[in-house]
Amino acid sequence: MMQHLWLYLHFPNLQLDALLQQNPESNIHTQAYVILDERTNQVCQLNHAAYQSGIRLSMGLGTAAMLNGDLQVIPYQREITQNRLSDIAQSLYLVTSDICFFNDNSLLLRVHNMLTLYGNLHAYWQVVQHQLSQQEVVFHYATGHSPLGAKLLANTAWDQITDNPNEIQKTIAGSALQDTDLTPKAVEKLQRVGIYTIQDLLKVPLADIAKRFDMEVATYIGKLTAQIPHPVQFFHPKKSFDRFIELLYDIENVQVLQAPLKQLLQGLEEFLKTRDLLTQTLVFILSQRDEKSIELNIHSQQGEYLAQSWAVLISLKLENIVLSAPVFAIRLIAKNTYIRTPEKNDLFAGKQGKLSRLQLISLLQAKLGEEAVFTPTLTNDYRPEQVIQSSIRPAKPIQTFQLYPLRPSFLLPSPQRLHEKVSIAYGPERIETGWWDPKPIIRDYFMARNQLGQWYWVFKTPQGDWYLHGVFS
Amino acid sequence: MHPTISYLKHKNLLWQASHTQPTGHGQHTGFKELDNALQGGFPEYGVIDIRSQIGIGELRLLLPSILTRQQQKPTELVTFIAPPLSINSEMLAEFGFALDQVMVVQPLLNKQVLWSTEQSLKSGCCHSVILWHASLSVTQVKRLQVASEKGQCLLFIVRQPQQQHISLPVTLGIRLSPSKVGIKAQITKRKGSWSNASFNIYMGAYWPELSQSEDSNVLTFPSRASRAG
Repeated sequence: MMQHLWLYLHFPNLQLDALLQQNPESNIHTQAYVILDERTNQVCQLNHAAYQSGIRLSMGLGTAAMLNGDLQVIPYQREITQNRLSDIAQSLYLVTSDICFFNDNSLLLRVHNMLTLYGNLHAYWQVVQHQLSQQEVVFHYATGHSPLGAKLLANTAWDQITDNPNEIQKTIAGSALQDTDLTPKAVEKLQRVGIYTIQDLLKVPLADIAKRFDMEVATYIGKLTAQIPHPVQFFHPKKSFDRFIELLYDIENVQVLQAPLKQLLQGLEEFLKTRDLLTQTLVFILSQRDEKSIELNIHSQQGEYLAQSWAVLISLKLENIVLSAPVFAIRLIAKNTYIRTPEKNDLFAGKQGKLSRLQLISLLQAKLGEEAVFTPTLTNDYRPEQVIQSSIRPAKPIQTFQLYPLRPSFLLPSPQRLHEKVSIAYGPERIETGWWDPKPIIRDYFMARNQLGQWYWVFKTPQGDWYLHGVFS
Repeated sequence: MHPTISYLKHKNLLWQASHTQPTGHGQHTGFKELDNALQGGFPEYGVIDIRSQIGIGELRLLLPSILTRQQQKPTELVTFIAPPLSINSEMLAEFGFALDQVMVVQPLLNKQVLWSTEQSLKSGCCHSVILWHASLSVTQVKRLQVASEKGQCLLFIVRQPQQQHISLPVTLGIRLSPSKVGIKAQITKRKGSWSNASFNIYMGAYWPELSQSEDSNVLTFPSRASRAG
C-alpha cells in the first residue's frame, strides 16, 4: 500500500512579504518591521531586523517597542494575508493538484498521488520549490505521513523533505508539546503528569489518553499518528482574477501610481497567460483615504492579457482623473475572461500595422471617452433623422434595404429655419411618414444652391416654412 | 566633375532640375480633370491640405478615391475626425461604403483632435483619415506626416480657406472654390511640381443633380452633361 505523504508549507510573514514585493526599493530589509494583530495586541509577523533586536512572535506591542525604538508597526490585515496565500495556491495549482488551506498562513499539499507523475519526491519538491521561489515569500516546510504531523514539523521549521518514516517519526517524537496544536491548558495538564514531548505522550495508549485527558488531546494524537482520519477540503482555483494590494505609503500623485498598477497587471498577465485567457474589461478600485474610492473601468475592444497593452490604456485613463485624497490600496478585478482564439492575419497582406482596429478604438475610447468614437449605422426608416444612428461598438453589416440617392453628406443636428436666399436646383422629394408614432413628418425636400455656391438640402413644411437640414459637402 | 559638387550630390544635398521625378504613380481620384492636374492622382500616403468652404463639394471630391482605397484594403478603416456636422451614414452607404469600416471620432477638446489623428494615422489599421481642423502649425503637420508614413495612411485636412497663410509642409495642397459644374480647384502645393492655374472639376458623372451648366441654374439636359464630362 502506498503510504500517505503530505507536504506542509508554512508562510510566517505573508503580509510583510506582500509589502516588500510591492515596494522592492523600500527599507524593509534594514528597518525592523512588525505586523501587529490589533485584537490580541500581539506581534504576529516580523522581519529579520526585528528578530535581531530580540522581538519574538506573540510579544506585546509595548515590549516590542521597548526592544527597538525605530520599530515600524503595521496593523495585521487578514485580507492581505489570505489574498497572498490564495495567489500562492493558484500558482502551485499549476504543478500539484491537491492543495488545501490551513489557518491563514499555511498550505497543505497531498504528495503521494503526485509521485506517479513526478517519479520521486525529490523531483516533485524541485518543481514545487521553483514555483514558490517565483512568489518571493519566506516559508518553512516539512513532510509528514499525516497532515498534522507535517504541520507540526513545518511549524518548528524542520525544513526537510523526506519519505523515510523512521526519520519523520523520530523528529515528531522529539517535538515539545508547546509546538503542537494543543491548547496551553491541555499542555499544562500534561506537563503536570510529566509528559513534555510527543514521545512521552505516544507511550500512553490512545484509549488511556481519551479516558484520562480531554477528547481534544486524544483526537490530536490520533490524527497526528494517522490512526484517526483527518478530512481536508481541497482548493479549487478561482475562475476570475481579483487582487488587492495595500500600499506601503499613501500615493497622491497619479504618476507614482503607475508602479503598483504595473505590478498588478503583471500578476494579471501571468494569471491569464497560464490559462490562455483574455479579458476585455478591467476594474480598478483605488481606495482613497477619508474619501470615496475611485472605480476605474477600462475597456479594450480586443481581448488582451499583456500587461503592456493594458498599461497604455490605463495611463490614458489616469490622465483624466484627479485624486482628491491619497490612495492607500488598489484592487484589480477582471471578472469576465474568455479563451483566446488566435487572430487570423493575412500573411501576405504586406504592411502589418502595429495595432488592430479594435486596439485603436480602445485606445481612442480610453482617452476621449466611449461616446467620442463610433461607427455610423443605418436603420430602416424614411425620416432622415431616424435613418442615421451611431454605435460605439463596430456594427455588424446591416441588412440591405432601399437607400435613397441624393442625400447630403452632413446633416444638421436638427433642422434650422432657412434665412438665406437660395435657388432650387432639384426637387421636390416628398417624405410623409411616421404618422403612427409621436414624430410624424410631412416635408418636401429640395436641393438648393445659395449665393456662395454652397449646396443645401432644404425642405418646406405644409405650412410653408423653409428649413435647412443638410449640406452637400 | 568638381569634387565638391560630386560630394554634395553624393550626400543628396544638391538638387538638379533633371532630377524631378515623374510622380505618375498616384491613385486615381475618380475625376479626370484632377487626375490630369496631379499627373496620376492622390499620393499613396501623406498629408493633403484642402482649403475649402463647407458645402461646395469638398468631401464629394474625396469620396471616389477613398472608396477605391476601401475596396483595395477591405480590412482597414476610414476615419472621420471632428467633422463639423454629423456625417450622414445614408449618403456613405448609398455611395458604396461599407459602414462597419467607417469610424467617426468626435473629441470634445481641441487638443485631443490632433492626438486622435496621429494615433489613427500611425496605427496601421486606417487607410484614410479625413480631419476637419482649423489651425495647424508647421511642427504639427510634420508630426502628422511622419505618422502617415509610418502607418501608410493618407490624411486629408479640410479647413477654411481664410485660415492661415503660412506654407505648411504638406504633400499636396489644394484650394477649392464653388463652381456650377462641380468644383473649382487649384493646386497650391505639390512635391516636385509647380502649381498651375485653377481648373473646373466636373462632378456630373457622380451627382448630375448637383452639377449645373456654366451659364444657367436650370437643370441641365443629360446630353449637355455628358458633353461637358
